[in-house]
Amino acid sequence: MSDPYKVLGVSPNATDEEIKTAYRELAKKYHPDNYADSPLADLAGEKMKEINEAYDTIMNQRRQGGRGYANSSGSTYSGGTYSYGYGGGTSFADVRSLIMTGRIADAEQILNGVPQGSRDAEWYFLKGTVLYKRGWLEEASNHFSRASQMDPGNAEYRAAMNQVMNQRQGNYGGYNPNMRPVGGCTGCDICSNLICADCCCECMGGDLIPCC
Amino acid sequence: MFGYIRPQKGELLVREFEQYRGFYCGLCKQLGKSYGFAARMTLSYDCTFLGMFFGGRASSCGGFHKGRCVVNPMKQCTFCGENQKELKLAAAVSVLLAYQKIRDDLRDGGIGKKLSRFFLLPSAMRANRKASKEYPQLAEACRIMSEQQAQAEQDPDAGMDACAHPTGELLKTIFVTALKELEGLAEDSSQGRILSQFGYHLGRWIYIMDACDDLEKDAKKKEFNPLLRKFRIEGTLPPEKGKEILLYANEALNITMSQITSAFRLLEFIQFGPILENIVFLGLPQMQKEILFLKKEKEHVGSV
Repeated sequence: MSDPYKVLGVSPNATDEEIKTAYRELAKKYHPDNYADSPLADLAGEKMKEINEAYDTIMNQRRQGGRGYANSSGSTYSGGTYSYGYGGGTSFADVRSLIMTGRIADAEQILNGVPQGSRDAEWYFLKGTVLYKRGWLEEASNHFSRASQMDPGNAEYRAAMNQVMNQRQGNYGGYNPNMRPVGGCTGCDICSNLICADCCCECMGGDLIPCC
Repeated sequence: MFGYIRPQKGELLVREFEQYRGFYCGLCKQLGKSYGFAARMTLSYDCTFLGMFFGGRASSCGGFHKGRCVVNPMKQCTFCGENQKELKLAAAVSVLLAYQKIRDDLRDGGIGKKLSRFFLLPSAMRANRKASKEYPQLAEACRIMSEQQAQAEQDPDAGMDACAHPTGELLKTIFVTALKELEGLAEDSSQGRILSQFGYHLGRWIYIMDACDDLEKDAKKKEFNPLLRKFRIEGTLPPEKGKEILLYANEALNITMSQITSAFRLLEFIQFGPILENIVFLGLPQMQKEILFLKKEKEHVGSV
């Protein structure tokens, strides 16, 4: 196993607090939420596992005064890989297992073979997943939204829908035109604040801006 | 190419900016050295990024040195080391893409454009032949992309995804080929998979950005634009409709960015990491803002 301090990017002299901060930063970076449905989810999962192990190793070492490794303390984030629920009476168990094993083209072929009339909410959800993995994000979004329209009560479809909506809003990178810059100050803000200050002064008998 | 991939200068350290400039000027020099003076005209921020991206993954760099700018001899420039293989590859990509662009313009540009491109053709052909010999895979990818693009434009059922697909595939091939040439890693290695995803979505992002950039021009000249097709607009583009289209395109860009950033986070850089992070996490969104929401009439952000 590689040097756990190197994995977390901290020096061996770092305090517990520094290590915790570094760990949290990295865990946020590789969090499964950022990789839901991504074809790179497995790689992010490996990275997450590496970080978790490094953190546990360091913490255990420190707790026991460096007397070797103990079992995981369980304080770390769970791997949290997205698994597909088989329980709900799926009619596409084969497609789901193909998607899980990364055989996207085969999964798509089966899905495309389903006649138009028998394409239910689950079909749209799975087709959306396949499209998403292939990078056809616009059509994937449409399919997810169709699935959750057809079956509004299904949590799985809704989660997929929310995920793409969040990504479209720019919460995972990109630009959101409705978001005001934090701590920013426009020319309009300056003027209105000055006028406000002037009013306050005038109330108290003084004057900040003599002309109004 | 398009010049959309550039850093947010205000957030770079002075030293980092110098290094970035070093790659920019270094690429210019490399273009001149490998493909002749005319090839310097193809210099772009995009290919600078490509050079720096793989330069950052390599453990050593030829170092930086001062020299004079060829275009403006009064100016002192920083150049990064000559004949780095990353720069050679970026220069080849630059001329290959430029040649494809000239070919496309000659095929379906206006009379004025055709005439100006006609004079560029001989030197571009010469450069293209040389680059194709060195990187046959890249030349083939450019040809396929141009072919598929023309097909997608003619097929009325091709949506945004289908239209953006050829550019995505092209960028994917460029990154994967560079990985193979420079680091000897295959496409199905984990690095190859990350770069495939990164390249594909970067290409998609560039394509959608270009569609936004050209939206008004294409509407006026009645030329093909995937956004105009999606919103079924023929003829003039009402301003409020234009705003609606750009808001939609921004969402499409954001979801593409989410894939770019998640792939990028899995990569490790030995050097220039902060500069590359600046480009991906700040520069690209900044460009999105500039092209979609701040652009004034008749202002085009082209390549240099």
